[in-house]
Amino acid sequence: MNKNAKQVLSFPYIIWMVGFTVIPLLMVFYYGLTDRSGTFTFANVMAIMAEDHMKALLLSLAYSVVSTIICLLIAYPLAMILRTRNIGTGSFVVFIFILPMWMNFLLRTMAWQTLLEKNGVINSILSFLHLPTLSIINTPAAIILGMVYNYLPFMILPIYNVLAKIDNNVINAARDLGADSFQVFSKIMLPLSVPGIISGITMVFVPALTTFVISNLLGGGKILLIGNVIEQEFTKGSNWNLGAGLSIVLMIFILISMTLIAKYDSDGEGTAF
Amino acid sequence: MNKLKRFFQDFYLVLVLIFLYAPIAVMMVLSFNSSKSRSQWGGFTTQWYREMFESPVIMEALYNTLIIAFLSALIATILGTAAAIGISSMKKLPRTIFMGINNIPMLNSDIVTGISLMLMFVAFGVSLGFKTILFAHITFNVPYVMTSVLPKLKQTSKYTYEAAMDLGAGPIEAFFKVVFPDILPGVLSGFLMAFTMSLDDFIITHFTKGAGINTLSTLIYSEVRRGIKPSMYALSTVIFVTVLALLLITNFAPSKAQMEAKAAAAAASGKKPNNWGPKLYKAVLVATSFLIVCGISYTTYRHFDNSNSDELYVYNWGEYIDESVIEQFEEETGIKVTYDMFETNEEMYPIIEAGAVQYDVVCPSDYMIQKMRENDLLMELNLENIPNLEYIDQTYLEKSQSFDPQNKYSVPYTWGTVGIIYNTKRLEELGIEPPTKWSDLWDPRYKGEILMQDSVRDAFMVALKMQGHSLNSTDMTELEDAKNLLLDQKPLVQAYVVDQVRDKMLNGEAAVGVIYSGELLYLQEEAELLELDYELKYVIPEEGSNVWIDAWVIPYNAQNKENAEKWIDFLCRPEIALKNFEYITYATPNIGAFEMLDEETQNNKSVFPDDELLESCEVYQYLGTEADDMYSALWKEIKAQ
Repeated sequence: MNKNAKQVLSFPYIIWMVGFTVIPLLMVFYYGLTDRSGTFTFANVMAIMAEDHMKALLLSLAYSVVSTIICLLIAYPLAMILRTRNIGTGSFVVFIFILPMWMNFLLRTMAWQTLLEKNGVINSILSFLHLPTLSIINTPAAIILGMVYNYLPFMILPIYNVLAKIDNNVINAARDLGADSFQVFSKIMLPLSVPGIISGITMVFVPALTTFVISNLLGGGKILLIGNVIEQEFTKGSNWNLGAGLSIVLMIFILISMTLIAKYDSDGEGTAF
Repeated sequence: MNKLKRFFQDFYLVLVLIFLYAPIAVMMVLSFNSSKSRSQWGGFTTQWYREMFESPVIMEALYNTLIIAFLSALIATILGTAAAIGISSMKKLPRTIFMGINNIPMLNSDIVTGISLMLMFVAFGVSLGFKTILFAHITFNVPYVMTSVLPKLKQTSKYTYEAAMDLGAGPIEAFFKVVFPDILPGVLSGFLMAFTMSLDDFIITHFTKGAGINTLSTLIYSEVRRGIKPSMYALSTVIFVTVLALLLITNFAPSKAQMEAKAAAAAASGKKPNNWGPKLYKAVLVATSFLIVCGISYTTYRHFDNSNSDELYVYNWGEYIDESVIEQFEEETGIKVTYDMFETNEEMYPIIEAGAVQYDVVCPSDYMIQKMRENDLLMELNLENIPNLEYIDQTYLEKSQSFDPQNKYSVPYTWGTVGIIYNTKRLEELGIEPPTKWSDLWDPRYKGEILMQDSVRDAFMVALKMQGHSLNSTDMTELEDAKNLLLDQKPLVQAYVVDQVRDKMLNGEAAVGVIYSGELLYLQEEAELLELDYELKYVIPEEGSNVWIDAWVIPYNAQNKENAEKWIDFLCRPEIALKNFEYITYATPNIGAFEMLDEETQNNKSVFPDDELLESCEVYQYLGTEADDMYSALWKEIKAQ
């Protein structure tokens, strides 16, 4: 097959992308930039400056940054440990971490409610052991926990993938040349794993930024995130145009992540799967 | 030293695995819990597993989920692999653009992807249903396939391909003999990833699904209204254990020698040798194809089971009918019912308005019926086809006139009030008298003990009524006052919830909650079953409250109007209304059914309040777009604070 013939293979998907990715996005822009009567306006996008929306956006940003950092702190050491152990094949490791996804996402999050509630499983165990009980349900802590729980696999997998690819000879060579463990980590492991880290960060940050289900189920409806605002505008039927306008704002953050990926991970190395 | 390090590493691994698997363990335990409550252990049972296999709704949702996951993963794998090969020979600029667009569905938030697809389907008049879900799933699956195929493709050397060509292979042969085996692991893991993503998706499916189709996710979501049925936990457990077992089998498969011995033995006994290698993908493929085959045979069976053309599309609240009533209707009339559920009026409205799904009969609430009527979304009923209307108590027909002035469009199905439910024991502990009015919910002693309704109108109703205003107020100063009151109350509120009030009250999580009267009988029955050491009581606050009516209407674009009228008539039959009342426990406006109830229930003032009590209660009215926006803006202020 010559180059042109090969390129033809991508045509069906290009058509598909135009139909199911580009046109729908244009629809969002159309709705976001018009009002109910169909006249052009920036009001829906500028609505982000309104106090409530801004507050929701800042909260979302704060929670997603915190949960991304926690995910990274948990995932990196874990990926290092997994690398040193030869636990089955690489796919086995992948499987262990995507296996929970075969249980429905809503059910898993509901299960955390059962665990965290005032009279829930964790507190029953704690009080049985005569330990002080936890009361984090319906607080920001519960939301962050839910985010970390749901998105942790998306951090572990890309980091594990890049770490697993590092040639042991490189590390041995560094040791032979007199590097201690810390130097091996900071001079070899860390720089080589940057693509995985970046990819992990975006894969955790974006869904955490836009979630509405987790904040609803674990936050007791008391904490309004930007995802909740958008979801309400659509499902509570009040204002599709406003919802679309705020979605455009969200997409700006997604654009930033995409640029980051393109910059640090131009080879597509740090992919999760 | 090394041992200690290893111990810490193991400890850490186990800790993370516990974190990931704890909720799953909880669900597995719940699937054997004989109590429906999420947090009370009622004894061991396998009842939910039986129920799961017997429920056509669950089995159909399972089948849809699997077939959509399978088809979308398969198509996405083909599309994605071809595209990956194609772009690897593109120049840098087009490739960057291509990858940028490709990454959008993966990086964009699900909600925006779902909404954008829905907007497009609606704009181009594609009716929502199986195929729109499938298209949506393919769209978000391809990027996952690409990301796992591209790296593999990069690792393949183009020289082997050229060498194959030099040795006389055609381009296609060379590809399948040389390149494809190299990228196969990537293709398979892409397929697996796509399959899992599709299986786990809720948000995108939620926005792109149409009538009569549910995947497991959307079914679970609609069940959130009245509490998730434990048979869902049972189903998840079965799926999970199946996948886990396959994983263990394939990873710890017996050694080759053992396998050969086994194969020989199997061959001797005339069976096909079972030669599974330690490739888990293969196992997953086998498992899914097995499930698909089961699914297909099941639906084929269902198809022949109901091979008639007479149809009816029903759109109702989740868990708002005794399912045996649907079967009885189908048997009696020979009409095939496609039954679909929604969670809120607001969710139902745009679907009817868009007309992408053509329902024949819908059951919205009062103010929404008014909105639908005013926007010409309803058809007049032919009352001659609904003789059983005579069993509907005149009182409720009169009440209905506030949203349907001549009773031309709607037939009441259920009704009730909104009030306060309280936990007697918890109140004693706190040393507070039982509440009698809304303003009691502002008592600081209730800090952290109040459950409020997470809906604009219900929340404002509480504050407006407390001030002595109408709950249909559009007066800006009254609403501002109400907003400030609700803001004052927020620190006392434990959570704003919709249907979880039930579970939380049963579990003793809170002392008081705002709740729909219809939940009361269910809660009291359940409290008795659980042998709780406290009572749950209900009161309609003195200041007055909301009285609501859910009624059947026929949308403007109904295709089977006469069948819809038969359906309404059937539900008005006293025995049927009684059956539904006993199942859903929301008060019935059916006088025939009411008379068949035992005296105790008839006199239960919480469920069937006196007219006196009802006097200060109002029905919600549709207030127009402007007022809607005002309410939702104020509500947002409260929630954001």
